[in-house]
Amino acid sequence: MAANFWTSTQRAHWQLTREKIADMRKSLDEEDTNRGLGITYPLPDHKQLQLYFHHCLQRLARRLQLRQQPLATAETYLKRFYLKVSTRDTNPYLMLSTCVYLACKMEECPVHIRSVVNEARALFQEFIPQDTAKLAECEFHLISELNSYLIVHHPYRTLMEVQVPLKLTTDEIMAVWSFLNDSYITDLILLYPPHTIALTAIFLAVFVRPAVHTQANLNASSTTTSMAATMGGAPGGGIAPPQSTGTQGGVVGAAAAAAVAGAGNAGGMSSARLSQMSDWFAESGVDMDAIIECTQEMISLYDTWETWTDKICREGVARLIRGRQLL
Amino acid sequence: MAEKVAPASAAPVSAMPLPPYTSKVKVLDKYHIIGFISSGTYGRVYKARSRHPGTTGDFAIKKFKPDKEGEVINYTGISQSACREMALNSELSHENVIHLHEIILEDKCIYMVFEYAEHDLLQIVHHHSHPERRLIPESTVRSILWQLLNGVSYLHQNWVMHRDLKPANIMVTAAGEVKIGDLGLARVFWKPLAALFNGDKVVVTIWYRAPELLLGSRHYTAAIDLWAVGCIFAELLALRPIFKGEEAKMDSKKTVPFQRNQMQKIIEILGTPTKERWPSITQLPEYPQMASFKQYQSNLETWYHQVGATNQLGYELLSGLLEFDPAKRLTAQQALEHKYFTEGSKLSLNAFEGSLIDYPHRRVSSDDNDIRTSSLPGTKRSGLPDDSLQPRSKRMKAGD
Repeated sequence: MAANFWTSTQRAHWQLTREKIADMRKSLDEEDTNRGLGITYPLPDHKQLQLYFHHCLQRLARRLQLRQQPLATAETYLKRFYLKVSTRDTNPYLMLSTCVYLACKMEECPVHIRSVVNEARALFQEFIPQDTAKLAECEFHLISELNSYLIVHHPYRTLMEVQVPLKLTTDEIMAVWSFLNDSYITDLILLYPPHTIALTAIFLAVFVRPAVHTQANLNASSTTTSMAATMGGAPGGGIAPPQSTGTQGGVVGAAAAAAVAGAGNAGGMSSARLSQMSDWFAESGVDMDAIIECTQEMISLYDTWETWTDKICREGVARLIRGRQLL
Repeated sequence: MAEKVAPASAAPVSAMPLPPYTSKVKVLDKYHIIGFISSGTYGRVYKARSRHPGTTGDFAIKKFKPDKEGEVINYTGISQSACREMALNSELSHENVIHLHEIILEDKCIYMVFEYAEHDLLQIVHHHSHPERRLIPESTVRSILWQLLNGVSYLHQNWVMHRDLKPANIMVTAAGEVKIGDLGLARVFWKPLAALFNGDKVVVTIWYRAPELLLGSRHYTAAIDLWAVGCIFAELLALRPIFKGEEAKMDSKKTVPFQRNQMQKIIEILGTPTKERWPSITQLPEYPQMASFKQYQSNLETWYHQVGATNQLGYELLSGLLEFDPAKRLTAQQALEHKYFTEGSKLSLNAFEGSLIDYPHRRVSSDDNDIRTSSLPGTKRSGLPDDSLQPRSKRMKAGD
C-alpha cells in the first residue's frame, strides 16, 4: 500500500525478472524491425539510452529545482513506460517531461504544466511542442500504460531508517545517496525491492568505496578522479557533465569486484566497525546473493558509462522526432 | 530540418505521424449507464452495470470533469486530486474503503469505476431527521462508527491521511458495510517533502475541521481525521452537524481567513481550550485569536444527553475523539479498542442488522445518462430533497 511495499502495486505488478525485461525489450525491438522503424531510425542500445534519458531528466529536474524523490519517481515511470511502448513510437523528450510533470504531482510538489513545458523547451528546444495540451495528452498515454499504478517505493526511505542504527557517517551517507541516484540509470528499481537496492548502496559505500581509495592509490594514476568517482561527484551525483565521467567507472568496478570476491579490505575501516557492519548485514536477513547481483548491475553501469557519450543518443533521437514528426 | 526521411516504399509506417492517444478500453463498450447520481466540483457520478456477463453488481462511475477552454475540450493536465485518487485507490484494499474496479482514460476524461454503495451517511442522517426526528438505532450507530474507525485505522497504518472525512464521503452498502470514499484530498504523510500546509491551503470541510487546522497548524497529523470521525459520530446521534459554523471566505488576496465562527461553535460545546489542556496551542499561528473569545465551560455531556443519547461509554468515546490536543486525541486503533465497542451487546459488521428501518435507495435520474457528452452545470446530488419536486417519471429507484 501507500507506505507498505509488500502489499504495493509495485511489488505485485512492477517487480520483474531479468528474463522478463529482456523479453519485453526484445519484442518491442522486433516489432520495430517488422515495421521498418529499426532501420530507418537507429538508436543506441537501452543502456546507452537509459544513461541519456537519465541525464536529460536530471537536467530538467535541476531547472525545476526538484528534489531527488520526484526525480526518482519520474525515472521509474519512464523506465516502466519504455518496457511497454517502443521509444520509436514516442517523442522521448516530451515523454520524459511528462514523467517529471506527473511525478511532481504524485510526490506532492506540483509544478505548473506551463513551467514544465517552458523549462523543457529551454533544454530540448523545438522538440517540445509549445502547446501544453501535447504534454497533457502524453500524460494520458503514460498513466494508461502504467495502469494508474503511480505510487513508487524508493530506497531512499530505507537509508533514512537504517542510517542511525548503522552509525553511518555523513561521508558514507552522501556516498550511499550517490549510488542510489545512479541506480536509477539501471533496471534495479524494476528488479528488486527498494530495501535491497538501499542495502546494496550501503554495501558499496561502506565496503567497496574505501577499497577504491586503496586501489586508486595503488594505481597511482589520478587520485582526484578516483576521489570524484568515489565521493559521488561524477557518476554518483551525476551533476557533472557526461564527458567528465571518464575512467572512474573502471576503478569503482574493479574495487567492487574485488570486494564482492571477498578481497576488499575496506580500506582504513577499523576492524571493529567492519565486523559490526558485517554482523548487521548477516543479522538483517537480507539476501546477500541479491546484493551481489545488484552490485554487478552497478558495475556494469559504470562500465557502460566509461565509454558513453551523449552524441549518438542525441542525434538518433533528433532524427526520430523529426522523421516521424513526433511533435 | 534537412533530415532524411525513409522512402515511403521501404518503410511507410516510419514516416507516418503518430495517431493521437486513444483508449484501449471504451466506457460505453464495457458499461451500461443506468443514470446520473450526483455531481460535485470534480465532475459527475453515474450508476452503471457491466456489459460483461460474468461481472455482476452495480458500479458507480466517477467522471472527472475535463477543463474547458471556451467550447473546446482540451487536454489540460490531470488535477492533483484526480491523481491522488487514482494512485491511492489503486494501492488500497480494505473492506471499509471503497473498492476501485478500474480506471478508464478516454476522450480527455478520466472515468474511475468504483463498487456501488446504496447509501451514504448524509442520506441516512437525512432519513432519520425528515420528516420527523427519529434516532438512529444504537446498534447501527455503533456498527457504522466501528467500521469507519476500522477503515481510518487501515488508512493511517498505511500512512494515508484522508483529510476530508464527512458524512457525504462515507458510503454504506445495502449489506450494511461502511466504505470510505473520495480520496481526492488524501495524501501519504510519511516524511512529507514539504510542510503539509504548503500543498493544500485548506483541507477538510469546515464543520469537520479540527481545531489545530483552524488555528493554522502547518504540521498537522493524522489526528485531524479522528476529529472528523468525532464530528460524524456526534452527527449520527444528533442528526445534525455538531459544530455548524459559517465559513469565512477567502479574500481576494487568497489569504486563508481565521474561521472565527467555526471556532465559536466548537468552544460553545467543548469549552474554551486552555494551555493546561492543550500545551502546544500557544505555538499555533492563530493562537492570539483565542484571547478574543469569551470563556466557556465544557458542556459536551449535557449536549450528549440533550440529543437523546444515553450510553455513557459513547460519551466517553466521543469526548476522546473531540479532544482539543491532537497529541491526546484518541488514535483510530485506540478508539476501536474502546469499551463503547467491547462492552454491551455484540457488534455487528452489518450496520442494518436487527434494524427494521427501510432506507431509501439512492436516487438515480435516468433522463441524464449520457456519460460521454454530459457536461451540464452541476446539479446537486439527486438523492436529496432539493430535487424531490421533480416529476416522478424522471427518477427511478435503483434496481427498478
